[in-house]
Amino acid sequence: MRVAFILACASALPACASTMTVSSHVDRAANFAQYRTYLWGPADALPTGDPRLDKDPFFKDHFEGAVTKELARKGLSLSESGTADLLIHYHANVTERLNIAGVDRRYGSCLDEDCRAQITEYEAGTLVLDVVDARTNRLIWRGWAQSSVKEMLESRDTMDRQISEAVRRMLARFGKGL
Amino acid sequence: MRIRFAAAALIAVASMGCATLNVRSYAERGAAFTRYHTYTWGPADELTTGDPRLDANPFFHGRIQADVEQRLAARGFEKVQSGSADLTVHYHANLRQRVDVGGVDRGFGYCDADECRPYVSEAGTVTIDLVDARTRRLVWRGWVEGTLDGVVDNQSWMERKIDDAVARIVDTIPRQ
Repeated sequence: MRVAFILACASALPACASTMTVSSHVDRAANFAQYRTYLWGPADALPTGDPRLDKDPFFKDHFEGAVTKELARKGLSLSESGTADLLIHYHANVTERLNIAGVDRRYGSCLDEDCRAQITEYEAGTLVLDVVDARTNRLIWRGWAQSSVKEMLESRDTMDRQISEAVRRMLARFGKGL
Repeated sequence: MRIRFAAAALIAVASMGCATLNVRSYAERGAAFTRYHTYTWGPADELTTGDPRLDANPFFHGRIQADVEQRLAARGFEKVQSGSADLTVHYHANLRQRVDVGGVDRGFGYCDADECRPYVSEAGTVTIDLVDARTRRLVWRGWVEGTLDGVVDNQSWMERKIDDAVARIVDTIPRQ
């Protein structure tokens, strides 16, 4: 499904400046209405798999700022005492993935004369946002956003926009799975 | 009975679309499964799933574990505290990107235009191991492998897929 989407976009590049996939898993038994406050959990010990994003304060600040803003719209505020209803963790990961384009003869969308498959490697970034019930220490919701990180690393503005979009779309699903 | 089976098969095919699950298993030669009645979970898997969406994801791992327990119970295996179990159960789940060249072989001219396309898909594998708790030898391994494009992004679909996969793996444990 997502591969098909990426394929479609690769053949119509200008139309797809951003191809971000967002989804989530949820604990269906959790009562999300009871939560009011949150705290940031201990920092992620896992590296992102990419030195350009590891220990990047810009990334961290924008991400945490975007999450704070979206959660505020949902009535959740950062706890000012040492305790909270929820703990929030996040993790960013970058992996090499392949994309194959340019071989769909039936639809006449060959990219070159020979209609050969064009295999390109791209860097897929995944942002995972975990929300844990602080009392039970159980994960009640996980949201994620995946997209190519190439454009994102080109400029701070693009990174900022991509982070905002990822967080907005992930948290629009807060409390939901599919 | 026959009609019910056919209906079940139809539903299974319809719910999976074109994505099929391949199930395989092997048992240690001479393993006497009549000896085994109880099991316990082995230590958690140290390997990652290969997908950040699934690593440390209780909705994914919890579903597999609950399904394994349910299916093993249905086969007469009783879950007990470690120390007194006949079998130790381990599992490993993995998701990776796979390139399928789609039979592209233009040189020999047997390429059907519809099929002759390489593509990339997400391939998932779940492996379940049964280890004799006394001898610590692997006595049985079953695994299922299938295409999972879009499955992880849809929690209900993922759960159905896990249910189906685990049921089919456990079904291949030799009858006692």
